[in-house]
Amino acid sequence: MGRGGARDGAAAAPPWHSLPDEVLEHAFSFLPAAADRGAAAAVCHGWLGAERRSRRRLAVANCYAAAPRDAVDRFPSVRAAEVKGKPHFADFGLVPPAWGAEAAPWVAAAADGWPLLEELSFKRMVVTDECLEMIASSFRNFQVLRLVSCEGFSTAGLAAITEGCRNLRELDLQENYIEDCSSHWLSYFPESFTSLETLNFSCLEGEVNFAVLERLVSRCRNLKTLKLNNAIPLDKVASLLRKAPQLVELGTGKFSAEYHSDLFAKLEAAFAGCKSLRRLSGAWDAVPDYLPAFYCVCEGLTSLNLSYATVRGPELIKFISRCKNLQQLWVMDLIEDHGLAVVAGSCSKLQELRVFPSDPFGAGQVLLTERGLVDVSASCPMLESVLYFCGQMTNEALITIAKNRPNFTCFRLCILEPRTPDYVTRESLDAGFSAIVESCKGLRRLSVSGLLTDLVFKSIGANGNCLEMLSIAFAGNSDLGLHYILSGCKTLKKLEIRDCPFGNKPLLANAAKLETMRSLWMSSCSLTLGACRQLAEKMPRLTVEIMNDPGRTCPVESLPDDSPVETLYVYRTIAGPRSDTPDYVQIV
Amino acid sequence: QLVAGHWSTRWRNTYKGVTCKFSAASSFSHIFFLALARMSESELSVIKPESLKTYIWLQCFDGSIQQVEEEVAMFCPMICREIVKNGTGSSKNHAIALPERVNPSSLSLILDYCRFHQVPGRSNKERKSFDEKFVRIDTEKLCELTSAADSLQLKPLVDLTSRALARIIEGKTPEEIRDIFHLPDDLTEEEKLEPLKNINDDPRIRLLNRLYAKKRKELQERQKLKDIQVQQEQKDERSLDELLCFINGDGGSGGGKAGKNKKKNKRRKDPKNLPKADPEHVNKEEGACAVPCNAGAVNNISRAPCPSSDVQDDNEYPFEDGDLDDGLDPAMQEELDREVEDFARRLNSVWPERMHLGQERRIESQLIGGNGSLQRFSGFNHR
Repeated sequence: MGRGGARDGAAAAPPWHSLPDEVLEHAFSFLPAAADRGAAAAVCHGWLGAERRSRRRLAVANCYAAAPRDAVDRFPSVRAAEVKGKPHFADFGLVPPAWGAEAAPWVAAAADGWPLLEELSFKRMVVTDECLEMIASSFRNFQVLRLVSCEGFSTAGLAAITEGCRNLRELDLQENYIEDCSSHWLSYFPESFTSLETLNFSCLEGEVNFAVLERLVSRCRNLKTLKLNNAIPLDKVASLLRKAPQLVELGTGKFSAEYHSDLFAKLEAAFAGCKSLRRLSGAWDAVPDYLPAFYCVCEGLTSLNLSYATVRGPELIKFISRCKNLQQLWVMDLIEDHGLAVVAGSCSKLQELRVFPSDPFGAGQVLLTERGLVDVSASCPMLESVLYFCGQMTNEALITIAKNRPNFTCFRLCILEPRTPDYVTRESLDAGFSAIVESCKGLRRLSVSGLLTDLVFKSIGANGNCLEMLSIAFAGNSDLGLHYILSGCKTLKKLEIRDCPFGNKPLLANAAKLETMRSLWMSSCSLTLGACRQLAEKMPRLTVEIMNDPGRTCPVESLPDDSPVETLYVYRTIAGPRSDTPDYVQIV
Repeated sequence: QLVAGHWSTRWRNTYKGVTCKFSAASSFSHIFFLALARMSESELSVIKPESLKTYIWLQCFDGSIQQVEEEVAMFCPMICREIVKNGTGSSKNHAIALPERVNPSSLSLILDYCRFHQVPGRSNKERKSFDEKFVRIDTEKLCELTSAADSLQLKPLVDLTSRALARIIEGKTPEEIRDIFHLPDDLTEEEKLEPLKNINDDPRIRLLNRLYAKKRKELQERQKLKDIQVQQEQKDERSLDELLCFINGDGGSGGGKAGKNKKKNKRRKDPKNLPKADPEHVNKEEGACAVPCNAGAVNNISRAPCPSSDVQDDNEYPFEDGDLDDGLDPAMQEELDREVEDFARRLNSVWPERMHLGQERRIESQLIGGNGSLQRFSGFNHR
């Protein structure tokens, strides 16, 4: 069983074919995707060396897929790294605290092996103040820190960053849980510091020293993105805007001020000066009367995030209708069908729409139905990404949407009540979702909901040829559903399932598939321990984690094969089983 | 521009910043010629009749000598330095010795490049058009050219040719790339497995699976031949079969059909199926961030900028070598297919007897978790 290549008559390659390393590295620097670099690295010994030594950006989509030291050793020249931790369903509270995903080992390895690191990004990980201190002191040219949905740190850690990172360009804190130690982290930016381009502290709960913020904004002439938190009142927003009219992206924080005409005038004047503003967001318990202050920027807006804005009614719709160049719209279902109809008519360049539920457990007073989505899909030819929460849906609507928009790449429909059928025909929504996957050949992400049988999964398995992420909840009838998915969907990477009647058989039958995927999450399905054991035994390159009631004390080894498994999380790894599992997680 | 005496300066070529540095104590004639190089072609032809045109001689490693107009040669920084510092190249006997990696055909191409671009009057469009055509050569020549340009330090050409090489590599599998560039398949087993190395020292199932798949392919190609070599390989195959039986467990089927995840790269090859530029898609998809468990935290839209990662997360470290197909024994595949059909038949036969509702109730009772509550799909967190 020799290596096939050795027999292919590969005499020493003619000298003209052996490109010197610097040439290879230079050529690789023009490759658009990491996958191309991966392919190049697998070509031959010479290319492997040239590629891995010159890799500048590294994405580790599962922090447990590889050991930090291995990553750092393999790619010594990395300047920008991104690491992700907990599974996506952690966002829904399905992952108890202290699960893992600590950033510390990664920061330590980076501090050791990547002294020239410039960018670090963590998502759904536990980042401590010590991590932040280490980052601040280890990388002399550190420029970009991005923390998304992380926890474990406080404003004291932020102070270390602002004090220590002299070349910081971006401090981007998105939806983290940050403990407020009343540390004046903002004040730690030296007076001589002017390199900031992005400052996002919207998720911070506490106060910031406004005078310090104002001075910072004034002296950082390259500031493009500023996203404030709730603590900054409306009039202060106006004065900040006057200091930074070059802003491209603004997050206003809360504004629920009562209407005052002079404040309105201030805001209007401030926005009038912002000729470059393209992206707007904010938690607006907005008094609708203030919306006209934004009118002058509407025309230029490409992105509008009102997903925390409880403003509704004609003022909202009038406001959005003026945003003729909108590409991305995130809004609450308070916009209702007639609002979306206006969006459909006004925003012809719309590419991404997200509609969030204002009252997910409520009695459904909001008039948002399938109608809104149908209208938008009909009139927005560039629409390719949708996240839509609503109370009702029909197959007909889905089929129409599929026909209107075969260019969807991301389609996530969340009907609030589980197992809701087509409200007209009372049938399952199999036909509708099948139409979506059949029509949208480039679909990469799909979330299904409503009443669904195994048949929809047959369709998804057969047609989802580009599908990379699939989310399923309260759907399917039997093992067959899961089997269709795992045996189809050639490019599937992430599969997350909850509350579906899927059992052991399809899992074992498709064990090898799991090694081609990044991860599989199954909670509240019909799995038993025996199957998990078998899976772990068959597939040594997978880590099979099970989670049961935190209260349970007996070790998993003692349990019989037919014990039910509440949550299964399986992922491929080269690092072997992790050693930081909490009590309630067992690695089989 | 004609300055006599001792002086030093740095000239910057208007096109792509090629720098030609030289020091004082140059002879007047050199300065004169350099100044001429900066003049337009028309000016040159007026003040420099053919008989006065200066040529530079360049010698390749193989001994062959080429002669080229001085202004063309000067476009190349390395040659420029040789002329100015060492005074070589002005006659056939004192030809400038070029680095080994510059072969005659590459040199010709390079000189063509220089000849075109050293003319200052051309528009960007013209230059771009020339460049595009210029790199439309076979891969072997392109490699040689890139190598030569690099050793001559002609940066604009190095960039141009490197980009062209990248375009060839883009979207291809390692095997395809090896074919095109005539590269040896010399990765050691450790290196091949490096992203996949198993520190627990278990049998290298993946490598074996991969070899098995390769074997199977080779077998198919040689189906007509009934020689001993095939027999031998079949023997190997049998032992792999045994291994697969072990992997796949008690007679059950092994991986699903989709175990053969045949290169996502293949999909990328076909432009018709290409989704639009990956990075843009990354940005949008990355926007899905949730409110953390403590409600009340104010959140804004999560910005996109993922350094070309997540969804470009077409492959991600450490699993970038898309070659993850575990060949499935066709016999086992058949068995699996049969099982699935059987299953489906059984399912369909009892289907009319089942009421949706009844089944739901059954499922619902299964789903009630240990703590007695029915979990809802709490969508509102799902930013």
